[in-house]
Amino acid sequence: LCISGGLPQPTNITFLSINMRNILQWSPPEGLQGAEVTYTVQYFIYGQKKWLNKSECRNINRTCCDLSLETSDYEHQYYAKVKAIWERNCSKWAETGRFYPFLETQIGPPRVALTTDEKSISIVLTAPEKWKRNPEDSSISMQQIYSNLKYNVSIYNTKSNRTWSQYVTNHTLVLSWLEPDTLYCVRVESFVPGPPRLAQPSDKQCVHTLKDQASALKVKI
Amino acid sequence: VAILPAPQNLSVQSTNMKHLLMWSPVIVPGEIIYYFVEYQGEYESLYMSHIWIPSSWCSPTEGPECDITDDVTATVPYNLRVRATVGAQTSAWSTLQHPFNRNSTVLTPPVMEVTKDGFHLVIKLEDLGPQFEFLVAYWRREPGAKEHVKVVKSRGIPVHLGTMEPGAAYCVKVRTFVKAIGRHSPFSQAECVKVQGETLPLTL
Amino acid sequence: GLRRCLISMDIHHIEEAFQEIKKTIQAKDPFQNVTILSTSETLHRIKPLDVCCMTKNLLAFYVDKVFKDHQELNPQILRKISSIANSFLYMQKALRQCQEQRQCHCRDEATNATRIIHSNYDQLEARSAAIKSLGELDVFLAWIDRNHQGTSA
Repeated sequence: LCISGGLPQPTNITFLSINMRNILQWSPPEGLQGAEVTYTVQYFIYGQKKWLNKSECRNINRTCCDLSLETSDYEHQYYAKVKAIWERNCSKWAETGRFYPFLETQIGPPRVALTTDEKSISIVLTAPEKWKRNPEDSSISMQQIYSNLKYNVSIYNTKSNRTWSQYVTNHTLVLSWLEPDTLYCVRVESFVPGPPRLAQPSDKQCVHTLKDQASALKVKI
Repeated sequence: VAILPAPQNLSVQSTNMKHLLMWSPVIVPGEIIYYFVEYQGEYESLYMSHIWIPSSWCSPTEGPECDITDDVTATVPYNLRVRATVGAQTSAWSTLQHPFNRNSTVLTPPVMEVTKDGFHLVIKLEDLGPQFEFLVAYWRREPGAKEHVKVVKSRGIPVHLGTMEPGAAYCVKVRTFVKAIGRHSPFSQAECVKVQGETLPLTL
Repeated sequence: GLRRCLISMDIHHIEEAFQEIKKTIQAKDPFQNVTILSTSETLHRIKPLDVCCMTKNLLAFYVDKVFKDHQELNPQILRKISSIANSFLYMQKALRQCQEQRQCHCRDEATNATRIIHSNYDQLEARSAAIKSLGELDVFLAWIDRNHQGTSA
């Protein structure tokens, strides 16, 4: 047992959620630099009866706690709280607002595979996967959760210095009639119509269209 | 003590879902007049008729007009009223004669910029706000050509329309669609671009 | 009326209006152990055929009960609630067309689910119940968005 309120509370307590991987994170209490502060976390399922312990996040040093498993039913809503402990003192609980994974999780970018020939690039997108506890568990695509998931594909022609974008719903896109022997860069962002969500574009991937065989032939003559 | 006159000639001018309430200014020599605008949606007038809501941007305002776009956010009739104040004096409320419904807004053809990147037809549309979708029609300029239609929601960024064949000319026209009021604008003028022919390889 | 009632609804601006007041409204609700819409027991069991009736019932629940029982003094919040209330009024009118085309038939499932929601509401004092129901608007809007997706994507 500790003296409650003897310490200032942790601050900035929020859920960082990407593809339903829900990490509770917070900042240390102010004014305790150098002290060996530990933290304890509890969570609550909105509409249920009591706060529940997260045993792996009892008296921990780090300022984050993975609550993905406890909040995996994304149709429900949750609260979480954390308190700071140092020697025989502890802070009051610091609590999150109501967290609704279905509406608040960020949708990660798809996996992007590019193949090219002289004048075209084919783009194959693989929807991001929902967080899963063990790698061997069966995968659930975020597309299964958000059937209206779309992708915003932006294409940058490094030779003309022009960028244009395209919204696609299916997973393959062929850009034909491109300029041969040109470097094109592609970036893709997942998008779900609805309340505004933070978005994470994919890393930029660049690919070179092949040299035009015809002009190579011309050169030989 | 002269009673401050209420503002007169209230009217709403609405274009492309931007709504401006206007009235004749109240003149008191040597004084700055402030106006307070309030509104009431159909919900308030049906269920809470005593409730009037202060406008987002005009409680108070100096000029004889008020942008009520952020207040009129549903497609139902809205009552609007204005009063003038100077110092401690306040005029009576003046209420818009007929409730305003945003489905009466004037929709104009959108401004577009048609460009090409090699053989790719690209369009950039003005940003009219989140309520606007764009219906883009494009076709190859030749007799009997098929018209392609694409719904574009991106605003202010170049969007890929289609791939063009070398040496051909393509034309584009666009109109807006506002789902919240279920109406279209007229089509814009068509704009055409011509694609350079491809340098044919030497045939042996 | 077996054909589903699909009406064009612009839900996203309502969701945005709610997002702007969600934290404030939900923070005013002290009863974390009680829900009104009780998602898994009611809304998620509604079948496509009952979506229209359930939407109609819940719009009426909010328009006739929740918005009336809630008194709001903060002008910013008042404007957002007014925006949502008037949008619900518009949606009710849009649904009426479905009713005229007999696509809004109410079966026992929807009627019972609605009864549960009203009963949850009546177990709390009116103002507390209203603030809690307002705080659960995101659940109702997400449910509408998903079930009327043919039109609001």
